[in-house]
Amino acid sequence: MTVSLYYRQDGPDALVACALEEMLLLYHRPSGQTHMVISPVPEILGELTAGPLAAGEIVDRLAQRYELGARDQAVGAVEAHLAEMTALGLVRAA
Amino acid sequence: MNALPLVRALREPASAATLDVPGWNALIAMARAERLIGTLAFRLADQPLPPAMQPILADARIDAERESRQALWEADRAAEAIKPLGLPLLLLKGTAYAAAGLKAGEGRFIGDLDILVPRASMPAVERSLLDAGWEWVKSDPYDDAYYRQWMHELPPLIHSSRDRMIDVHHTILPLTARQRPDAEAIMAEAVPITGQLSMLSAEDRICHAAAHLLADGDLAGGLRNLWDIHCLLKDVDAEGLEERARRHGLLPHVRQARRLAEALYGAGARLTPWDRLVRARLLARDGWGRETHKLLRFGFYLRSHWLRMPPAMLARHLWTKWRKGHRPA
Amino acid sequence: MRHSLFLKIGPATFRIGSAWRQPLDHLKTLYADYPAADGGITDFTVRLEPSAFLRRWVRPSIFITGDHGLADAAPMSLDHGLLAAEMGMNLQMALGWRRHLLLHASSVEKDGRALVMTGESGSGKSTLAAQLGERGWRLMGDEFALLDLLTGELLPFPRLVSLKNGAIGVLAAEAPSARLGPLLTGTAKGDICHLVPRADAIVRMGERARPSMLLFPRFGHEAAVRPVGQGEVFMRLTQASTNYVALGEPGFAALTRFVQAVPSHALDFRSGEEAIDMVERLWAMRE
Repeated sequence: MTVSLYYRQDGPDALVACALEEMLLLYHRPSGQTHMVISPVPEILGELTAGPLAAGEIVDRLAQRYELGARDQAVGAVEAHLAEMTALGLVRAA
Repeated sequence: MNALPLVRALREPASAATLDVPGWNALIAMARAERLIGTLAFRLADQPLPPAMQPILADARIDAERESRQALWEADRAAEAIKPLGLPLLLLKGTAYAAAGLKAGEGRFIGDLDILVPRASMPAVERSLLDAGWEWVKSDPYDDAYYRQWMHELPPLIHSSRDRMIDVHHTILPLTARQRPDAEAIMAEAVPITGQLSMLSAEDRICHAAAHLLADGDLAGGLRNLWDIHCLLKDVDAEGLEERARRHGLLPHVRQARRLAEALYGAGARLTPWDRLVRARLLARDGWGRETHKLLRFGFYLRSHWLRMPPAMLARHLWTKWRKGHRPA
Repeated sequence: MRHSLFLKIGPATFRIGSAWRQPLDHLKTLYADYPAADGGITDFTVRLEPSAFLRRWVRPSIFITGDHGLADAAPMSLDHGLLAAEMGMNLQMALGWRRHLLLHASSVEKDGRALVMTGESGSGKSTLAAQLGERGWRLMGDEFALLDLLTGELLPFPRLVSLKNGAIGVLAAEAPSARLGPLLTGTAKGDICHLVPRADAIVRMGERARPSMLLFPRFGHEAAVRPVGQGEVFMRLTQASTNYVALGEPGFAALTRFVQAVPSHALDFRSGEEAIDMVERLWAMRE
């Protein structure tokens, strides 16, 4: 299997979001599934609204606003989130 | 009472105006039992209806929307899973109709995801699906061996988190059946729906639906399958269909399906005595949604196994099933 | 079918067919004060059938089904026919209702405001609602609360209250015996007795209320009140809803709005009196 580097959103209108205290609820229209997510998933999704990005690019963008620590570790963590989100269909390999 | 009121309402929506209250209640119960309530809701959308019918049909439309959404999502997930294999996802039945926006898909109940893959690709597809979260439903070794040896599909898989089933077929009839449809030709003629999804050609859609209805199953859900055929017939010309059906060895089935579809949902047709028996079985449903004609139903249940298997194998199969406590409904 | 009966409960209507007379006779008596639904188009058909051919006569045994059914539903004895009919109606609502978000919850109303209680079977939500229904509140329902998808209002579904085991004695001490059905012993859930809601609950079964408080009662624990986070409330309510997934986006919108608008508490208690006290105090303190 090839590992793809770029990820994109699943369509511009695919998600409806609703904040409940510290949680973010996402209703995913194509699947009809509801997902409950916490930081940094909303931030990663936010970056992807601009267009397809690789994990490293997402980290670089997030680093402008947040203290992320060591870049390698942050990239690994974002990769892991992206893999999970891909399995759920929230993002796709571009 | 039989299911004729349901058939009539589907054929001629304006006829529903003549129904009285018990007639409406019977129609709803039959349509739900035959899983045709969503289709009925679409058919009656522009008819003047008693006020109490509006919310009932609106509910059915909500369910149909969900059916379609979930089916398309499962197709999307399966297509993603097998993407690395470079195969398009060849959809069968309800999911194909919904994905392609065919009339047969309007309001249709869609159960499992059925796909067709080349026999040589079965192991790779199986592995890709297992990697993407699908798992085996049955753990019974007899069933598993039976499927792999004699059926035209993998044992059913279910997705571990979404709880939806997928049936992976490599042809459209069991290998034990008497007819041998040309699976390679079916796949060669498949038509694309989107970049990743495809479906059978218009002729093969009917051959498959007719084979499924008349050469394979016990006619459970037959009114719905026949409605599919009625809708699908609009996309083919008679000659092309006959030629295709002959090639698959399904000509008698396709012809019978056409006669029955014409008789029940169309302008009428001359029926043979055997057609009439099938028709009686299709209509065996009363105004409470109950199955009627138990003996006729049982006859078709036995026949469905007879059609799939040589007699000695059938006896062995039914015996094994019986010991495991399976009884026909 | 051989015997049939039409019922209207809240916004839903039922056509109940039965192979036997007895279950419908019980229903007729207990639902006597409900508005008649005869002669109308009904939302659901319920069927009480013999579980096998001979089971109409020999050790009669009921298979509950209808428009919606469960293939593996356990057959019930004819002595529990009333319960079977009630379960048949519940089954149709749980599996087929799409007009509102359906929450497995009890609810009571006062001054146009509704108190909703949800929890597992045995949490005490049903008994508590029944008791409040005898003490100045209007019982909206002991089993299902229906949430309007557009307005967020709560609709009543005041079917018979299904009292189990210890709750039977508690309510028998408060409600006149004329409102109690026959005692059904030895059911899958122990003893069951049905209670007809008070007249105002039946007369006003078309009257909605704005949900103003959500409680998660838990019987058998030291008295305590705890706040519940919105995320947890949302999760527990999706689990308590039988049609949340089926409704899709409108269900999501209705439920998130409910969670954001309605204050929630977990309520542990040891006795009904204690719980009623706590409920009344919480209710008085709500802004």
